[in-house]
Amino acid sequence: MTDAILEAHVTEGALLATRRRTLVSLRRGDRAFFWATRLSAYAVLLILGGIILSLLSGAWPAMKVYGFEFLVTQRWAPNAMPEPILGGLGPIYGTLVSSLIAMAIAVPVGLGIAVFLTEICPPRLRQPIATAVELLAGIPSIIYGMWGFFYLGPFLAEYFQPAVIGLFANVPVLNEIFKGPSSNLSLFNASLVLAIMILPFVTSVARDVFMTVPPVLKEAAYGIGCTTWEVVRNVVIPYTRVGVIGGVMLALGRALGETMAVTFVIGNSFRISQSIFAPSTTISAAIASEFAESSDLHQSALILLGFLLFVLTFCVLALARLMLMRLEKRAGK
Amino acid sequence: MSLVMHENPAAHAHGRRVKIDVRNVDFYYGDNRALKSITLPLFANSVTAFIGPSGCGKSTLLRVLNRMYDLYPGQRATGEALLDGRNILDPAVDVNFLRSRVGMVFQKPTPFPMSIYENIAFGIRLYEKLPRSELDARVEEALRGAALWEEVKDKLDASGQSLSGGQQQRLCIARTVAIRPEVILFDEPCSALDPISTAKVEELIEELQEDFTIAIVTHNMQQAARVSDTTAFMYLGELVEFGETQRMFAAPENKRTQDYITGRFG
Repeated sequence: MTDAILEAHVTEGALLATRRRTLVSLRRGDRAFFWATRLSAYAVLLILGGIILSLLSGAWPAMKVYGFEFLVTQRWAPNAMPEPILGGLGPIYGTLVSSLIAMAIAVPVGLGIAVFLTEICPPRLRQPIATAVELLAGIPSIIYGMWGFFYLGPFLAEYFQPAVIGLFANVPVLNEIFKGPSSNLSLFNASLVLAIMILPFVTSVARDVFMTVPPVLKEAAYGIGCTTWEVVRNVVIPYTRVGVIGGVMLALGRALGETMAVTFVIGNSFRISQSIFAPSTTISAAIASEFAESSDLHQSALILLGFLLFVLTFCVLALARLMLMRLEKRAGK
Repeated sequence: MSLVMHENPAAHAHGRRVKIDVRNVDFYYGDNRALKSITLPLFANSVTAFIGPSGCGKSTLLRVLNRMYDLYPGQRATGEALLDGRNILDPAVDVNFLRSRVGMVFQKPTPFPMSIYENIAFGIRLYEKLPRSELDARVEEALRGAALWEEVKDKLDASGQSLSGGQQQRLCIARTVAIRPEVILFDEPCSALDPISTAKVEELIEELQEDFTIAIVTHNMQQAARVSDTTAFMYLGELVEFGETQRMFAAPENKRTQDYITGRFG
């Protein structure tokens, strides 16, 4: 009798000991996992810091020579004597304006496609169109560059630009923006190519978030007699605005940094022209086309441009965050 | 006393006016026939309850009455549903106009992503251009009508989604009422609400029948008995029994109706 009780105690003790051992080893694994994830997260900060530092050290000589003048100087003369005269205003202007025009074209069209696909399109057409839009995103940017250079540019110069130039010839202000002569390589062409490139981003993000709108919410809006347009404008877009703005900012980030396609079609002119049909350049296009043959101060100035692009993109993203926070605050008050 | 049997749907029993006259309506989800030759009247200024087990077609019938099914390709209805004598199912009917006359309140509260005030004003603005003061008055009237005014009058700018579930549902009722429809369809309006909110909504439905014709789908027998004047029992897409609520709950004529309301199946 006592033996049996004793034996039961012993087995129970052994069971608890095994269980404790297992727990200890599990806890060790947990700690390893904790450190693995923590280090991965820190690695991002480290890489980011490293990139900023190396950009700054590369840009330092140019910063020392030009200072804040760099931001407002238009002249870009790397071979000037005795010292190159270099200003970043041209590429900065080109980057901002080309992205802006691209967004002005791509956002409405992209949202339009997304609305059509989610709200209006007959189911049979839905998949083919969605696939086509996604394929646009899969085309390498160099292909867009070549297409823009050989086909789109000449086409626009031959037909589109003369028509628009003629249309606004007698309208003050606008006639300066749309001024001749037409050109195969221009700020506008680059913007259009950019717009086509970022269209899939806008569309696919917008489509995904539009599909998260509960059908019953849309039915409720239709139920009080709304038309499709009213449902989209007053229910679908407000409900999804955070996601839509996120998609738009993603696209803007891409437009600001896009290099290859723009380098092909923008014409690489550092001079700022009021006309959007004149050649221009962007920061990334300037770096791509000049970096290989640059040295000393010239190279440092290009790195400085790169740093500015970094800052610019950062500001855009920060601004987007700020805007989203504001919106959320207002909606959740 | 038995009121109306479906052989004689449009009878003006008790001298009550028929607001919507459903005649031989069939409904198809693709090839699936979900409603089988439904014929029944909805009387003006009274509450008609639709009961029956899940999938019996009662919500489907409601969605026919404001053509909500139009949003989905592959769904279609045949037959006639006459609203004041005009056929709702006629393809020539302007569905937006129809839906302004036949409002709907859904199972889940569906406040729009905007402020409480805008949730109401939005619907009104679709149809009427009003000066701000009149719009304010209409919003207040609608919120009072839905017994919500006292609870929200100090936070009209707050998001409609910040309200509790019961308040959201009353907001949706206010939104529907604000447009001044003639018929209001309730699709299980209390199934997501707690008992207190349910009682408030039921009370509201009682009051609304003075001004509107009301149809309500419910899974709750007591609710049907409490709020409705007329009840329709449906089963597998067919109308099994239709009649005065009191009579039907006291002495159902059909065996299946009796089994269902006494809880033996469904």
